[in-house]
Amino acid sequence: MKRSGQLLEDLQKRKKRQIWLAAAGIVLITAWSARETDFSVVSVVRGFGEIVRFIGQDFFPPDFSAFRSLIGPAVDTICISFVAMVVGAVLSLLLSFFAAATTCPYRWLQASVRAVCSVLRNIPALIWALLLVAAYGLGTLVGTLALILTSVGTLTRAYAEILEEIDMGQVEAVRATGASWPQVIAHAVLPQFFPGFVGWSLYKLELNMRASTLIGMVGGGGLGFSIQKGLKLFQFQEVCVAILMVIVLVLTTEFITGKLRERLI
Amino acid sequence: MSAILEIRNLRKQYADGTLALKDVSLRVHRGEFVAVIGSSGAGKSTLLRCINRLVEPSGGSIIVNGVDAVKASGRQIRRLRREVGMIFQQFNLVERVTVLRNVLHGRLGYRNPIAGALGLFSRQEIEEAKNILRRLGLHEQMYKRADELSGGQQQRVGIARALSQKPLIILADEPIASLDPATSETIMQILSAICREDGITCLVNLHQVDVAKRYADRIIGIRQGTVVFDGPPKALDDKAVGKVYGP
Amino acid sequence: MSMEVEWAPAGAARQTGRTETPARRRRDPVLTGAAIFGAVFFVFGLIHLNFDYGQLWKGTLAFVRSWAYLFPPNAAEWQPILAAALETLYVAVVGTVLAVAVAFVLAFFAAENVAPKTAPLVKGFVSLLRAVPTLVWALIFIVAVGMGPLPGILAIFTHAVGMLTKMFAQSIEEVDEGVLEALRATGAGWLQVMLQGVLPCVATSFLAWSVFRLEVDIGESTILGVVGAGGIGWEMANAMRNYEFDTASFVGMVIFAMVYSVEFATNRLKNRIRLRG
Repeated sequence: MKRSGQLLEDLQKRKKRQIWLAAAGIVLITAWSARETDFSVVSVVRGFGEIVRFIGQDFFPPDFSAFRSLIGPAVDTICISFVAMVVGAVLSLLLSFFAAATTCPYRWLQASVRAVCSVLRNIPALIWALLLVAAYGLGTLVGTLALILTSVGTLTRAYAEILEEIDMGQVEAVRATGASWPQVIAHAVLPQFFPGFVGWSLYKLELNMRASTLIGMVGGGGLGFSIQKGLKLFQFQEVCVAILMVIVLVLTTEFITGKLRERLI
Repeated sequence: MSAILEIRNLRKQYADGTLALKDVSLRVHRGEFVAVIGSSGAGKSTLLRCINRLVEPSGGSIIVNGVDAVKASGRQIRRLRREVGMIFQQFNLVERVTVLRNVLHGRLGYRNPIAGALGLFSRQEIEEAKNILRRLGLHEQMYKRADELSGGQQQRVGIARALSQKPLIILADEPIASLDPATSETIMQILSAICREDGITCLVNLHQVDVAKRYADRIIGIRQGTVVFDGPPKALDDKAVGKVYGP
Repeated sequence: MSMEVEWAPAGAARQTGRTETPARRRRDPVLTGAAIFGAVFFVFGLIHLNFDYGQLWKGTLAFVRSWAYLFPPNAAEWQPILAAALETLYVAVVGTVLAVAVAFVLAFFAAENVAPKTAPLVKGFVSLLRAVPTLVWALIFIVAVGMGPLPGILAIFTHAVGMLTKMFAQSIEEVDEGVLEALRATGAGWLQVMLQGVLPCVATSFLAWSVFRLEVDIGESTILGVVGAGGIGWEMANAMRNYEFDTASFVGMVIFAMVYSVEFATNRLKNRIRLRG
């Protein structure tokens, strides 16, 4: 069939052209952005040596005597992320039933819940913290609240997507036995929902750990505050210890949550 | 023998305009093993699902043991459903839970909403569920996750779940379509033996005409939403099959 | 699976020997342990953080009351704010694109199925890059090179390389071993196997991760300004410091618009690709 062969060839050519156009577009945008920000790779490479020297000389050796004073903020950081995740998960669990097309009775309600969660999720936790400091003052409360808001935003959407992808056949079968609505939810929906629920919650815990180390920089308590304070006072070696602690916390959380998620399936 | 199921002028039109059932009337007597045959899209599945209101009929009446299913409201629908067991082509077991728990789901219609939701079943119900599993040869698999079982075993769990409802009627929607020929025979044997032993009326959708002829007391042929054949298997000759299936 | 011969008619079953109950499956002890630990830790955390719930209530009231100050958003200084928003975008774009380029190369040395000797080393190195939050990198680079967009670009670049290398390497590791085997069997060299065999398989997922990273980086870029790396975060911090809530809410909306439009665009793209699929 000569015609279909020709069509296929034209399609391939078009696809290739599109890819080249897209690639060219990306290069152009990047070059423009670089120019606007006075960025040049050459200067970076030249300055690279300077950066390495700075980091090597001023940050090392780390001043471990500062460790003891940093334990308090570190524990704060851990608690903030964990508490925020749990509270966020519980709230999201409830909200997700209204955000999923398969379980929400009204279209308008579903759309508005999704919209609110989008706002919560897309405004970085740090910005939320900034906005909330005026009302709640400095301290761990603000940090936790900011993380709760972003947790609800992310988790509601994640849970809703899981709800929308469950096997409705299983739900149908339990309905057919004459079970009432809460029974159907408990026995056919929740078991399918569970692995994704825990998986996403653990992932959010990881994200929270990363964010809460920073929240301190706007007054939210934790290691971020210590880092910023240290930098302002030029106490680089203490800052180094704080950063190392951040690294340890983040890597440990990543490791633990990863292992738990593996066991889940 | 009274009619345990009586359908009069049943009609179902879907939102997109398709008329799945045009005008279906039939009577089924207690204890009958009825096979429903017809090509895909003929309306077999819709017919079965109207009986337990998984699909909303557009018109007509369905009288199950004296109660009109079409007119039933919330609580009555629950009561209706617990007396009608359903078996599915894709088994539709809750895969992550144990076989035993899946069978107990059949009792949910008899428990109050909160207790059932929490999964609290009485000791007697649990014992009876275990007995059903023993009867179907699944005793060893009781505590395994449902998705660890083979297709044939899963369908047996589906049958067990329907049995635990102690139903008057069992509706089976293409129960063997996803199984190999040997397993299909086993399932059909189980289904017909159990319905005979327990006196349960059975409506089975099948697309294998030979299987229908071998197991059913009575065959109903559906074509484009209407009944075009209704009689014993020996009356289903080639001409009749032609009427059901094709031009 | 052989035919199920365990089933027999009702009467017979009760006479067959095996009637002991099978053992109940034990729950995964690690998971239950973790769950219990989690619950206990949650309570511990609440106690440790010792929130002033009175403050929580008062603050919420104050927040609700302050909504009056937030609206209508003050767009009077929209020019510098929009310029700042653009700068934020530039920083994110440059940082991400460079990171994609570098990660692309690094990934091939981090994947265990194509470079088993160097993989652990490279993976370890990039996980360090990834473990330090972008903001902390920004702080470090600010001290090293001064304020402005440059440290922001470097910070985004560094963290993104960490993340992208891991994700790219994962995609490479998921390539079917058979494909690699077949190409090697034709006598192709390492580079050829990579570009002709691996690349086509991972191209879509590389693209997906890159776009995802861009989304995240735009969000990160918005906050970099808060510590002095330029961009819209700076405007926000400024406005809050001066209690100009209405300006702050305008900036907040701009931030939301930026981050959301990326999410929106990528969703549309995803759907179009899925339909073509």
